[in-house]
Amino acid sequence: MNAENTPEVRTLSYAEAIREAMDIALAEDERVVLMGEDIGVYGGAFQVTGDLVEKYGETRVMDTPISELGGAGVAVGAALTGLRPIFEFQFSDFATLAMEQIVNQAAKLRYMLGGAVSVPVVMRFPAGSGTGAAAQHSQSLEAWLGHVPGLKVVQPSTPEDAKGLLLAALDDPDPVMIFEHKLLYKMQGPVPEGRYHTPIGKAAIRRVGSDLSIVATSIMAQKAIAAADELGKSGVEAEVIDLRTVRPMDRETVLASVRKTGRLLCVYEGVKTLGVGAEVSAMVAESDAFDFLDAPIVRLGGADAPIPYNPELEKAVVPQVPDIVEAAAALAQGRT
Amino acid sequence: MPTEVIMPKVDMDMASGTIMAWHAEAGQMVDAGDPLFDIETDKAAMEVEAPASGILHHLAPEGTKIAIGEPVAWLYAEGEEVGAPPSAAPAAEEVPAAPAPKEEAAPEPAHAAAIPAAEGLRATPRARGLAREGGIDLAAVAGTGPRGRIQAGDVAALLKASAAPAQGGALSITRAKGGTGTPVILLHGFASDAASWAPLEPALRHRPLIRIDLPGHGGSPTLPIPDFAALAALIRRTFTELDLARAHLVGHSLGGALALALADTRPRNIESLTLIAPAGLGPEIDGAALTGITRATRLESLAPWLRRLVHDETIVTDGYARAVMTARADPGLRAAQAGMAEALFPDGVQAFDLRAALARLQAPTRILWGRRDRIIPWRHALEAKGAVALHLFENIGHLPQIEAPEEIGKLLAAHL
Amino acid sequence: MAGNPQMLDANTPYAVRSYSPEALIEALRKMYLIRRFEEGAEDSYMRGLIHGTMHLSIGQEASAVGSCMALSDNDKITSTHRGHGHCVAKGADLGKMFAEFFGKETGYCRGRGGSMHIADVEKGNLGANGIVGGGLPIAVGAALSAKRLGTGAVTVCFFGDGANNEGAFHEALNMAAVWKLPVVFVCENNKYGMSTSTERSTAVKNVAERAAAYAMPGETVDGNDFSAVTEAVDAAVARARAGEGPSLIENVTYRWRGHSKSDRNRYRTKEEIAEWQAKDPIARMGRMLIDHGILTETDLPKIEEEVAETVAEAIAFAKESPDPKIAEATRDVYTPATARGAAA
Repeated sequence: MNAENTPEVRTLSYAEAIREAMDIALAEDERVVLMGEDIGVYGGAFQVTGDLVEKYGETRVMDTPISELGGAGVAVGAALTGLRPIFEFQFSDFATLAMEQIVNQAAKLRYMLGGAVSVPVVMRFPAGSGTGAAAQHSQSLEAWLGHVPGLKVVQPSTPEDAKGLLLAALDDPDPVMIFEHKLLYKMQGPVPEGRYHTPIGKAAIRRVGSDLSIVATSIMAQKAIAAADELGKSGVEAEVIDLRTVRPMDRETVLASVRKTGRLLCVYEGVKTLGVGAEVSAMVAESDAFDFLDAPIVRLGGADAPIPYNPELEKAVVPQVPDIVEAAAALAQGRT
Repeated sequence: MPTEVIMPKVDMDMASGTIMAWHAEAGQMVDAGDPLFDIETDKAAMEVEAPASGILHHLAPEGTKIAIGEPVAWLYAEGEEVGAPPSAAPAAEEVPAAPAPKEEAAPEPAHAAAIPAAEGLRATPRARGLAREGGIDLAAVAGTGPRGRIQAGDVAALLKASAAPAQGGALSITRAKGGTGTPVILLHGFASDAASWAPLEPALRHRPLIRIDLPGHGGSPTLPIPDFAALAALIRRTFTELDLARAHLVGHSLGGALALALADTRPRNIESLTLIAPAGLGPEIDGAALTGITRATRLESLAPWLRRLVHDETIVTDGYARAVMTARADPGLRAAQAGMAEALFPDGVQAFDLRAALARLQAPTRILWGRRDRIIPWRHALEAKGAVALHLFENIGHLPQIEAPEEIGKLLAAHL
Repeated sequence: MAGNPQMLDANTPYAVRSYSPEALIEALRKMYLIRRFEEGAEDSYMRGLIHGTMHLSIGQEASAVGSCMALSDNDKITSTHRGHGHCVAKGADLGKMFAEFFGKETGYCRGRGGSMHIADVEKGNLGANGIVGGGLPIAVGAALSAKRLGTGAVTVCFFGDGANNEGAFHEALNMAAVWKLPVVFVCENNKYGMSTSTERSTAVKNVAERAAAYAMPGETVDGNDFSAVTEAVDAAVARARAGEGPSLIENVTYRWRGHSKSDRNRYRTKEEIAEWQAKDPIARMGRMLIDHGILTETDLPKIEEEVAETVAEAIAFAKESPDPKIAEATRDVYTPATARGAAA
């Protein structure tokens, strides 16, 4: 399949790509340790760490007690003193238990200490709805953490980026929070061999278009691509920007697209109110790209409700492909 | 200190009035006594004159209902600095007359209406930029977006249209040679054009004839028309640019409705009004025929609908139908008309109502209608009050001026 | 200044048996420094030179200094909002501390942290902490690093009696025990979490009893007795260094001042305060050194004088130091790209 002399690109799942990144990091850097609940012989709640414990042992792949606050804090303290911990939360919802260490310690230590230290910790958060796990195991809390200066927050939407962003996070001196969408874990896609970085703070233009810009995050980037393909059939050419990093946001890529298309649709799974799309919208509205807008900005986000259990309700509270198609068509046709 | 222009009390029990139309734009110099704006109350419509000379600013938007005594605009001396309105912006009670928004549009009427007209034009940032670059006054652009919002495409269309050869402003105006006295302005109907007056013209040649092509019709450019008010405003501007002290108005069907709307807001300029099978006097209209004509791309699909327009179908010969089809060959024109039909006659219903205007008419008015009209029921004519002359013709359909030009011509000539 | 130390026997306090006279005198000097530093801070506060509030540890100096006796600069401490003493005990520079207090660019945190965040990473002080219990998991993380990286460092984790009811305390102690990490948890039980006494807040009589829940040694000592503190903590540090895991030491002590500058002292009596002031750890330390011939009565005023001078110089340095630049208010949120090589 690789007749050309290019680096090997195989198809891996999103979860396998993350595991490969951790495998590379563990093999190359003694300072790297994985910490989390049931990431050892169990393989992780979503089987992301898999059998890494067999390869690297329990001192490198550490099962923690069910102690999110303590565990996250240990990772912070370890990062502060020379290790490169990757801390896995079983569900991103459990970040709420560890907020003290994430928000008050990891994010602020460098600043509070006048730049004397860095906290190179990586935290992984399986996030999002669609698994029937209901209100306490389905949230998208990236905007919570994105609100905190000192943190970096990324949301890979492809296997390639899941690996590249994790490796970039490990080489980053500051705390990086990775929100992985649970429904993407099984997604297959090409993943380059070996070590590479997907740059933090850089969005990806997934599809080029001229009629409107869809700025989406995480799984919504995939849904936006599907919607854009659908729209293409009726002659509406949507540009799809996968934000990839929520903080720091790739201002230039978004603004350039909006200057070109004059229309902006933000699509994100987190609750619409005060969410990532609000920031994207404000960023555009405050910039010179405002002058290029030819319609009000439209946001599609999660409903102002907890994620419900019933599968139809669960689908209804987050944007789906037909919602994106409809909103994008209305926007492109000047109906909004 | 600028001079306040208020909503005058013109009626005993009048509490508020609605601004129907401004005769001047923000930034324009007006003289004391100039007609400044039209208002409508529960009982009457009237023109209000400028209370002083000055440069007009802070206009309350057209369609805004304003309590008596409240300011509707301010007049500034030349060189006087124009800041925020000297008092609170006109407090609007409601915003009627906006095109029905889609259900998701939840406008904030009070807020929207409180914006002074000078800033109250709805336009996107990109449209504003294009207008600035193109030297276009946004007030001259009809917005096609929700709530009449001007979008980049609307400005671009106008720029394109103004780049194309068009005399006397945006709309195509043609004149017949010869004739003296008060000119006659001819307003054709939907999906027609100025050429349709040809059979009637011999009877009217003694007067100067001025034919206006509606936008998206005949020689006129395609302009976005979101609703009847926008179309009427366009005709009103075109009429203003003609700069006539007096004129007779003759309008057919949609042109009749426009003539009526024009007479309503320019009563002092209108000598007489002739409405032939006018629209605007009731909800019914044959939507299928409108759709059929605008959609037709071939002679075969057009001719049956043309025949519906008349009573004696034999007058729609193949030659006539072919000529009409040729005039309609441009897909852009057909698309523009389809869009206009959707805006003016959604779902086969007349989306505008001029019965109140009909009741207010001051100029001598005649209504001519064929009793076999299958497009608009002739009984709409019965809305007219006693001062309006009513002429009903047996065995005539929707096109009296084509079906019986001599009879109609004779009748008109007697009055014009 | 020392005369002939008396002969050591079984009744000789642990500290006198274990440390050189020089080390003991230095320890006493540090205790004075802490007290004069805090009195100076209090005075500066009243003169309007200090912004915000502060939490004074006057009366707790034996706990801070005694707990750090066995530590080198390689060893770490995590501290609390009442952390000036820990910072001085670990060897901090008073000028930089005062400068931080005054919000100056020359301060330990370049004016970004203030009293509650003073850290001295070079000396192994990972910082005071504004969150009750915030330093506990971090100390465990530092111990994890030491164990994994084989640095031999021990981490002493200071926290107050209030923190022992935080979830972080239990999570941290449990993990440290499960992983046998080189960390010593030092609870400075000064009887009150703000206004709430330990009797009203804590189910066990002594915080050290909680060690049993995490299968580690726990010991309650007189926190105003320098030698007792040293004896207990030194043993725990030795145990940690030997790879035998964590310990919990509870230094029972008392803060003479209120919780912070906003404290109106409504929850305790003057008699109680006076009773504890009679147990002044500095006076007791001085007495011990005199009793064992390490100092004479006349030496004490000399030490005090010298310390007062140091504090005065430190305050002068802080006053004269420049303020941070407003334009740099957002500096140090993230590590600059140029510094990344070092950080990575």
